[in-house]
Amino acid sequence: MATRTKRYALAIDAKKCIDCKACVVACRAENGVPLGKSRNWINEELRGDWPKLMEVFEPEQCHHCEAPACVRVCPTGASYQRADGVVAVNPSECVGCRYCMIACPYDARFFREDLGVVEKCDLCAHRLDRGELPACVETCPSKVRIFGDLNDPTSEIHQILEKRQYRLKKREAGTGPQIYYLL
Amino acid sequence: MNRRGFLKMATGGAVGAALLQTEACRVPLQQQKAAKDVVPRLEIPTTCDMCVNKCSMIAIVEKGVLKKLNPNPENPKSKGMLCARGNAGIQQLYDTARIKHPMIRTGERGEGKWKVVGWDEALDFAAQKLSAIKEKYGPQGTLWSSSESFQEVFFRNLSQAFGSPNSVRHPTLCLASVNLAYSVTFGTVPSFDVQNARYIIMSGANRLESFITPDTMDLIDSTTERKARLIYLDPRFTKTAAKADEWYPIKPGTDLAFILAMLNVIISENRYNKEFVSTYCTGFEQLAEHVKQYTPDWAAEETQIPAKDIFRIAREFSDAAPRAICYAGRRSSWSRDDFSMRRGQAILNAIVGNWDRQGGMVPNAKVELGELMFLPWDDPVAPRVDELDKNFPLAAKGDGVYLKLRENVLAGQPYPVKAWMIYKQDPMSAIPEQEKTLQMLRQMDFVGVIDIQMSDTAWYADVILPESTYLERLDPVEMLGGIRPVVLYRQPVVKPLHDTKPAFEIVQGLAKRLNLSQYFDYTMEQWIAEQVKPLPMDLPLDYMKKHGVYSPPQYPKYGSTLSPDHRFVTKSGKIELLSERLREAGYDPLPVYHQPSQVPEGKFRLVLGRHAFFTHASTSNNPWLNSFSPENALWIHPKPADSLGINDASLVEVASGVGSVRLKARVTPKIRTDCVFMQHGYGKRSPWLRLANSGGSDAQLIETAWDKVSGGAALHETFVKVRKV
Amino acid sequence: MKTIEWQYLIVSYLFLGGLSAGLYFVSALTELFRKDDDSAQEHIARLGALLASWPVMLGCTLLVFDLGHWYRAYKLFLHFRWESPMSIGSWLLMLFICISLIYAYGWTSRDGREHFFGRLPRRLRFLGILNVDVAPWRRPLAIAGLPVSVGVAIYTGVLLGAVQSRPFWNTNLVAQLFLFSALSSGCALLILVLAMRSRKFEMYQFRSLYLLDVCFLTLEFFIVVPYFIHGELSVEAVRESLKLVLGGPFTMVFWVFFMGLGLVLPWAIEVREVVPLFLTHVQLLPRMGVATPSPAGASVSVVSELSALAPPANKLHFSRGWAVAAALLVLVGGVLVRYIFVFAGQMSAIR
Repeated sequence: MATRTKRYALAIDAKKCIDCKACVVACRAENGVPLGKSRNWINEELRGDWPKLMEVFEPEQCHHCEAPACVRVCPTGASYQRADGVVAVNPSECVGCRYCMIACPYDARFFREDLGVVEKCDLCAHRLDRGELPACVETCPSKVRIFGDLNDPTSEIHQILEKRQYRLKKREAGTGPQIYYLL
Repeated sequence: MNRRGFLKMATGGAVGAALLQTEACRVPLQQQKAAKDVVPRLEIPTTCDMCVNKCSMIAIVEKGVLKKLNPNPENPKSKGMLCARGNAGIQQLYDTARIKHPMIRTGERGEGKWKVVGWDEALDFAAQKLSAIKEKYGPQGTLWSSSESFQEVFFRNLSQAFGSPNSVRHPTLCLASVNLAYSVTFGTVPSFDVQNARYIIMSGANRLESFITPDTMDLIDSTTERKARLIYLDPRFTKTAAKADEWYPIKPGTDLAFILAMLNVIISENRYNKEFVSTYCTGFEQLAEHVKQYTPDWAAEETQIPAKDIFRIAREFSDAAPRAICYAGRRSSWSRDDFSMRRGQAILNAIVGNWDRQGGMVPNAKVELGELMFLPWDDPVAPRVDELDKNFPLAAKGDGVYLKLRENVLAGQPYPVKAWMIYKQDPMSAIPEQEKTLQMLRQMDFVGVIDIQMSDTAWYADVILPESTYLERLDPVEMLGGIRPVVLYRQPVVKPLHDTKPAFEIVQGLAKRLNLSQYFDYTMEQWIAEQVKPLPMDLPLDYMKKHGVYSPPQYPKYGSTLSPDHRFVTKSGKIELLSERLREAGYDPLPVYHQPSQVPEGKFRLVLGRHAFFTHASTSNNPWLNSFSPENALWIHPKPADSLGINDASLVEVASGVGSVRLKARVTPKIRTDCVFMQHGYGKRSPWLRLANSGGSDAQLIETAWDKVSGGAALHETFVKVRKV
Repeated sequence: MKTIEWQYLIVSYLFLGGLSAGLYFVSALTELFRKDDDSAQEHIARLGALLASWPVMLGCTLLVFDLGHWYRAYKLFLHFRWESPMSIGSWLLMLFICISLIYAYGWTSRDGREHFFGRLPRRLRFLGILNVDVAPWRRPLAIAGLPVSVGVAIYTGVLLGAVQSRPFWNTNLVAQLFLFSALSSGCALLILVLAMRSRKFEMYQFRSLYLLDVCFLTLEFFIVVPYFIHGELSVEAVRESLKLVLGGPFTMVFWVFFMGLGLVLPWAIEVREVVPLFLTHVQLLPRMGVATPSPAGASVSVVSELSALAPPANKLHFSRGWAVAAALLVLVGGVLVRYIFVFAGQMSAIR
């Protein structure tokens, strides 16, 4: 893999997540996602039995992998990866074969029947290019999400990943996911 | 084809082509011109109105269309965030189910037959009705109920100028008891410095779920980043419980027992702040004597929290003081004895000396705003219809006691009330025992509603005066006190989409026709100009327009009241652990524990609550928010569900003494076996609120009960029978 | 979000593509190895050639209409991305359709062509330029097309097998399974058509098809077995995914309908029909000069006794009913295995 100058990634501190859905609504507003579909979501897990109960909330979206399976399998190159690591879909090239949806280990993509193309989180690339944060990161009340350039040693995400342990989801898929779940 | 034919074709083609060319040139020019006229992208700071928190945000408007609401980082209360409801404000603006024109009822009340009219006709109609009723019954024959809003002041002023003493607002359904309890103790209602606290006890205040306030953000921050400990008491395993260090499924209505036992331990083990108590408090000796009977072992019986934990928590709490808080909560409309419980809380906070300290309780700082001087009116002459002086002498006069008021109005005592003006409120959904609310509506000669959507109450109105949404209005500047006070500005981000008006203009329209114009003869701009005058910057109005919020940089400040000669706004001038004022009014001067009513055999106590996506009953039809929870379900523990043969998602009928509803069951271990729970805001009647018609309405089930001292509604005193359908 | 995106259109295409590949393969193989005077073999080769192009063209049409933008299908041919099985597959399909159409054209008769081009309206007479005899190209095309047809059959499995996020698929055995299923479907369709067209026919006309089909089915069986053994010994995600057919929603359809009715039963029918043939052929072995080592005459007599039971070759004929039954079962099995894999695969996931 060629080394990148910039590498955007997300770190998620799930213990701060209160499942308020602000990120889901902000993304819907920012990106025009229709109801019934979502570019991001919160995984909920209830554990234990009365009265020793425990509940965990974990936000998730496209992991913008380092070796994205969705980009590899796309027959037209509509699914592509930018130099800064953001994986996106070019809707004018997408034929709607949905192979990428099946190839994604995280089920992060969805099909837009109204447009006939596949869609997913693109880290609000249009906002990144304006120097703004992705909508979900900006709007979060409990500051669950840390976004930044992994290759910039002064960035918050770089520093926090040096200090704290983290896990990645579904490593066995071998796609090199870039959402770091802080432990 | 011959030569002639060919020539004909060629010329015709050439001419046609020439015409097309000119046409083609013209169109792009038109488009260019149009593009120059419209400003591409605006960023307009304004203030949210999806809940009471009033966070600051920046509206992104492209070509006159609101595209996105971004957080405004300059507000220290909203801390650069915007919650799900705030983001969904766009849908409130563009909701196709909004009321788009004034309407007057043509059929029977509740039939849903309306005719669209112009503003003049609608206002004439309303004013005529009000005047007629004033003629016949006096101005006190009208009731004016409203909920908080930056424009509410005008509505309330109108009711007073009209001469009616009968105003009723939402605190009587919400935080009346907690406000009164803290006022009686400290002379004011303080805020809690959750961000800096080290030990936090919360009774049922589902801060991490019910809505997103500064305390929400501070709480998750202090517990995850700063190792603050959270002890949470709730019969339900809410999201706050999921994040708490310790959660106790306390028996509902016994929180005061827990608090009294804590007081018992802290006092008997000399863990209280002696210096603070002796300097700033009165009534300690009596308190110490009073709590001797409330031992942890006794409390363990009452609350079902183990005694050893009560001992430990009391000790840990006092060790962490002054950075230890027993959080007051917001919606305190739980039980008939709620006031006593909040008094107990206030006393607990007082004796560990967390007053006006970092990590403790902090009296609210304010920013002084100017006031437009307008013609004053005579105070209403008649007494209030809910007879507060007699029944609830300590209750907040302007807020009223809704349930007592309804009772009296239905009985026609002490005098008839025949007109009801409602602003930004939905009594049909908000007040318990919906049948009685409906009766009250039907009993009126006139019902006028100012709202943005066809709520269940609006459905029974005679005239609907649609207000513009907060995104379409210029509002008065509002000051929110607190540990970091802010001044908020709200300006329109788009022009009104429909034939609606801000409440201010509606009030002016009514005032004109009621011969009360002289009290409203100013513009909104004039009002605001006066308000911002005292602000420190050079051009305060320009500043507010540009930034949307102002927060004085010198806050937070602690300890300004901690001087021995500071006078608390109480009778004794000190913090009243024992309250003479209560004694004089005929109530217990120290909180006395009364056992809550026991859950009858075969029944459940119905408890209510909120989730992060709805603001009470007002946003359940917002498609973006509704999608997270399209219908409510009755939470029931697997054990009783099993014995009743109820499976997850099966339909059940819930019946109380005043009504019954049907909704799905949600079998979950997240609730006590003797309780059931349902979310608020569903089961609506209004067909315009299609998305919210599903599920069941708690308003139909909850029986009328109120807190003895504040009159606040007691919404957790209903026992229901549940059966599978 | 978890949705089943590829459904019946894709299952149909996978089956039809494999069917075409199988038809071509059998036709080409038959053409390459037949004796010039063997009219039955020539008949099989011609039938296979004429049929081969059509199922895949129908399948591709279905495929194009499954796309979000069917009119953008041409974009698949503006790129060649060798890492994308779908890209490779699109080009393979195109190549296969071209080759198989020309190959089929090579099997048309001169009279048939004359008749067709003679009946064209005047304005389309210029199409007469296409009236060429491609027959001499049959063998080269068969050779060239064999790997392409294998490619088409295999790539449908690679399409699934290359997806690392679906543990039900992520094994190289899927490609082989689909290959042999495709080849056996080709045989089966030919058996079906021939059985239904002829009144009286002699089994030895079909023996090559039966033998081929038995081979393919046997190979298919011996791919399913290691798929399970290997899967059960593999990582948790794979074991979890196999539960879909070991107790999960696809258990019945996999074991009873696919393995039982779609594989083992037709295999058994065909073997039953083929065994007598072997027995009669065994008589040929000594005639061919093959020495059969035997202890003191015992096995020779056994063989000759068994041979005596078998009817003579020219009196052998095949029950039409059994032929149709076996063929239909194989074809249904071919559809089912693809249905199971497409649906179950999308349900499987890495935990």
